[in-house]
Amino acid sequence: MYIQSSALRCREALIGVFIVLFAYPQYTTALDLGIDDWQAHGFVSQGYTLTSDYNFFGNSRGDGSLDFTEIGVNLSGHIQPNLLLAAQGLYRNTGGSDREGFRLDFANLDYHLSVGDRATAGIRLGRVKNPFGLYNEARDVVWTRPAVLLPQSVYFDSLALRQAMISSDGGILYGRYGVGDHALTTEFLIAEPQDNTGGAAEFLAGIPGKLEGRPMFIGRMGYEWQEGRFRLMFSAVDLDRDFKSSTPDVSSGNTKTFYPLASAQLNLEAWSFTGEYGRITTKRQGFTPGGAILENTSESFYVQAQYRFKSNWSALLRFENFTADVNDRGGRRNAEITGLPKHNFYTRDVTVGLRWEFQRNWLMATEYHTVWGTALLSPVDNPDLMQRNGPERWDLLTMMVSYRF
Amino acid sequence: MAAWSVIGTVLIPWPTPVYATGTTVVPYSLNKQDTPFTRDELREIFFGRQTLWRDGSPLRVFVLPDQHPLHVRFSKEVLGVYPYQLRSAWDRMIYSGTGTPPATVDSLKQMETLIKETPGAIGYIEK
Repeated sequence: MYIQSSALRCREALIGVFIVLFAYPQYTTALDLGIDDWQAHGFVSQGYTLTSDYNFFGNSRGDGSLDFTEIGVNLSGHIQPNLLLAAQGLYRNTGGSDREGFRLDFANLDYHLSVGDRATAGIRLGRVKNPFGLYNEARDVVWTRPAVLLPQSVYFDSLALRQAMISSDGGILYGRYGVGDHALTTEFLIAEPQDNTGGAAEFLAGIPGKLEGRPMFIGRMGYEWQEGRFRLMFSAVDLDRDFKSSTPDVSSGNTKTFYPLASAQLNLEAWSFTGEYGRITTKRQGFTPGGAILENTSESFYVQAQYRFKSNWSALLRFENFTADVNDRGGRRNAEITGLPKHNFYTRDVTVGLRWEFQRNWLMATEYHTVWGTALLSPVDNPDLMQRNGPERWDLLTMMVSYRF
Repeated sequence: MAAWSVIGTVLIPWPTPVYATGTTVVPYSLNKQDTPFTRDELREIFFGRQTLWRDGSPLRVFVLPDQHPLHVRFSKEVLGVYPYQLRSAWDRMIYSGTGTPPATVDSLKQMETLIKETPGAIGYIEK
């Protein structure tokens, strides 16, 4: 009850904020703080989601759901010409898949120096955004997404895993080497992941408990031509954590996750083509029934085309595919073992979308998804997912309005 | 070193072909360097990766709004990129805490004023 009424109050406040912002368009540039290059930026995004048979981001069946709010404010500036300080606070609500409310998204110091004429090296310390794939670092800001949602098969937003993917506490070493139109980039992160937040530990282990032990490693290497007109990238997350069970009679153990991802993007004047392909291998041991080592590999990919048909309009077409177990693509064997429908073990999604920057610093985007399969749905928003035998095919319509400064 | 930062109203020489509009877009700064900017250097500066001048003093970058015709021309003709490539790099910096993008000004007049008033500033003008 309390949660509902506070969400309602928040919604009313948000509508108020939108009206004020729209009525006073002169406040439409970044807040220049007047001291050197210090700047403040922010965004307020509100989404609406309507689905046919399952829930996505709140109770989205029937009248739809407004549980899709992303609000952020950040501050950044140079203490020394090559020493940057930056921090961002984020409020996010996406129904059952994100109930963390307000959080410190990042707060880091970044120092870089030139090595000769062509190379740069740097270090970033603090709560840092995880360098992963083409979209991970700024994924909670709709302005950086092709339309409303990122491809869910690679960037899981409805699963509890997402909290551990966003940012972590530690450091990143990075480098860039450029010759003319060509550049090589590399990043390496060692950090404590936020895997005890947002239900990530339970999601990774399958039962309640805490994760601790070795920090997370992420590496990313890329090649880009002409500032990203063509871009190739390879990233990998390596997570090896000790699991402390909080269930009596269930012993503790270890969970390992390895997520390599290959990315490619071609950016032409009006068209952009993007694809990413990854596989997640998880290995659980010590707390599994009979002491068995449970190993599973899933597969994620998408291909996407964006068409900028006017300077402030773009269209999106995307196909994505997630297979929960690469050794059981149709889900038949897993269905037999668990008694769940086969379509619980994959998701295929065809998305069409539109994005319109209708006024400076205002954006409106919409997407329609035809989905086969239910593998990527939040069990919190769909508590009956494991009991009922719902349809394989379902529809999702989502819209978002955003203002930024 | 000191010779690089001689202050004076000097346009940075930039070889640009003349376009149908009869004007050229050129980088504009009061910081004088001993050699003209190369395209690579200008990309480092306008993409926000280079944050200091060759003498170590802080660098401040000013641009017009994304859709401003002169910004579009500067992106394409001088930097050799599409404006959305700049926007996407800047947004990534802003929302991931990895840099400060150029400050956006509303008009060319404001650009010129700010460049004259701000030490270490660079932008672009139409000639």
